[in-house]
Amino acid sequence: MSPYRLLRYLSRLGIYMLLILAVILSLAPLVYLFLTSFKEPNLTFSLPPVWIFKPTLQNYREVLAGGQFEKYFVNSLVVALSTTAIALSLGGLAAYGFSRFRFRGAFWLRMSALIPQMLPPITIIVPLYVLFNGLRLLDTRWALIISYLTFTIPLALWMMIGFFDDVPIELEEAAMIDGCTRLGALVRVSLPLVAPGLAATAILAFLYCWNEFLYAVILTGREARTLPVTITSFMTNKAILWGRIAASGSMVLVPVLAFALLAQRYLVRGLSRGAIK
Amino acid sequence: MASVSQPSQSAPFRRLIRQIEPSFYIAPSFVVMVVILIYPLGYSLWLSFHRWTLRTFKQGIPFVGLENYQQLFSSPEFWSSLRITFTFVILAILFEFILGMGLALLLNHDLKAKGLIRSFILLPMMCTNVVIGLTWRLLFNYEFGILNYYLNQLGFASVEWLSSPKVALWSVILVDVWNTTSFVALMLLAGLQSLPEEPFEAARIDGANSVQTFLYLTLPLLRQTILVALLWRLIDTFRIFDVVYLLTAGGPARATETVSIYIYRYGFQSFNLGFASAASYVMIVIMLALAGVMARAIGRSETL
Repeated sequence: MSPYRLLRYLSRLGIYMLLILAVILSLAPLVYLFLTSFKEPNLTFSLPPVWIFKPTLQNYREVLAGGQFEKYFVNSLVVALSTTAIALSLGGLAAYGFSRFRFRGAFWLRMSALIPQMLPPITIIVPLYVLFNGLRLLDTRWALIISYLTFTIPLALWMMIGFFDDVPIELEEAAMIDGCTRLGALVRVSLPLVAPGLAATAILAFLYCWNEFLYAVILTGREARTLPVTITSFMTNKAILWGRIAASGSMVLVPVLAFALLAQRYLVRGLSRGAIK
Repeated sequence: MASVSQPSQSAPFRRLIRQIEPSFYIAPSFVVMVVILIYPLGYSLWLSFHRWTLRTFKQGIPFVGLENYQQLFSSPEFWSSLRITFTFVILAILFEFILGMGLALLLNHDLKAKGLIRSFILLPMMCTNVVIGLTWRLLFNYEFGILNYYLNQLGFASVEWLSSPKVALWSVILVDVWNTTSFVALMLLAGLQSLPEEPFEAARIDGANSVQTFLYLTLPLLRQTILVALLWRLIDTFRIFDVVYLLTAGGPARATETVSIYIYRYGFQSFNLGFASAASYVMIVIMLALAGVMARAIGRSETL
């Protein structure tokens, strides 16, 4: 082997080693949480840490006992799905408008849609709390859906502009010459073509809602609580119930992570869009 | 011959239709955004000049002028929360960019299983912040946490990850770096892949080494991508709440009390909403000013 090829080989080996290290560091805490969820509670803090043990479903049974967890799971799902659907229809329509029409003030209008994403949530929660209190909306799913629209509409709008820009306008014009209305052309021609973009946007919006904590902890109580808040309820005054936290945490993470892995092609496209725009 | 005539519509009428057509698409989202944002924001501006506390709001909400703002600016805790927030923002972003750039450069090679590696690295970013915070709290546990256990095994002393005021902020930074480095890497990678090839070939022919190429070619060409990623990270780190709330709740001794936590404490623990609104407005102004500066830099880099 020539020295040059040896060097090349070694450098590739180095690259793989570093990347494998990055993968291990990324996954280790999650794996640890997952393992903890199957440990007997008294094994959680055993030293030295046990990596091989007889798995038990005890923590999961405790979390699911009483039927509260299922209720909050439904809350999380309903809130995230409804918000995503509303944000995608409104934001997508607006994105189409920005992508297809040139009009005065378009640039500034588009820029102003970025402002909501910059506002720290804590600054919007204070007035929303008082307003929802007055409207008797505290502790309802609506309170969460409305608050989540503040960041999902701008997200959908901005992501979808890029995806609509990718669809050549000529396709729609051809459809319109063939007798479609503009709306008809949007639905029959462009919408199928931006479907992957729509999927990427939907996944991201869903993830943001599914993971959201601050609005949920302040605006909801026993009724409309979502899963992230439910997990924190296992930190009681007396003790932190690590087994249940690990079990409920795994139940919140595993479905979305599995889904994110399956849909990662779309996700990566959506996430990296912002970079080159 | 093929001209399509629409006798029922006169030319000015059609022009009017064409002018208002965009608003048909755009208006719905903007109306919703105005209702759910401008109204609350206006209300909280109003609140910031009034006294609203849990004890007194039943008797009325008196106008107090600038009292809330005066109180805020004379509160050493507020200044300290600003300092803590900026320390966190700067350090977290710095590490995320160094590591993220490294990762992006590694991933920019032609590799086997690249997609798989990338999706594994992306997982922390998709996780619920609450779970991240609690998982790391478990790992950071002083007596029984596995971090200290393995540190001891390697011959190091245990670290007071969350209980020492000196260390706690670093622990929060560590968690944020773990959480979002892959996001930075992904954005930078997308930027790297969109770079033109010719300048790099020219540099190779001219005999530039890889460090020179990186410093004088890659970095300047990536300028815009870097600025955009920086803006997103700035927005995201400046508001940090969840992870801090679950790791340390702002402690120990307020060493990790960021502005969000500070406002939360006044708003929803002492229910002094007038004061919390005033603090919120200061936070908004700082955020928008920073974002404005960044946006201008991004705009200028576009013309370069």
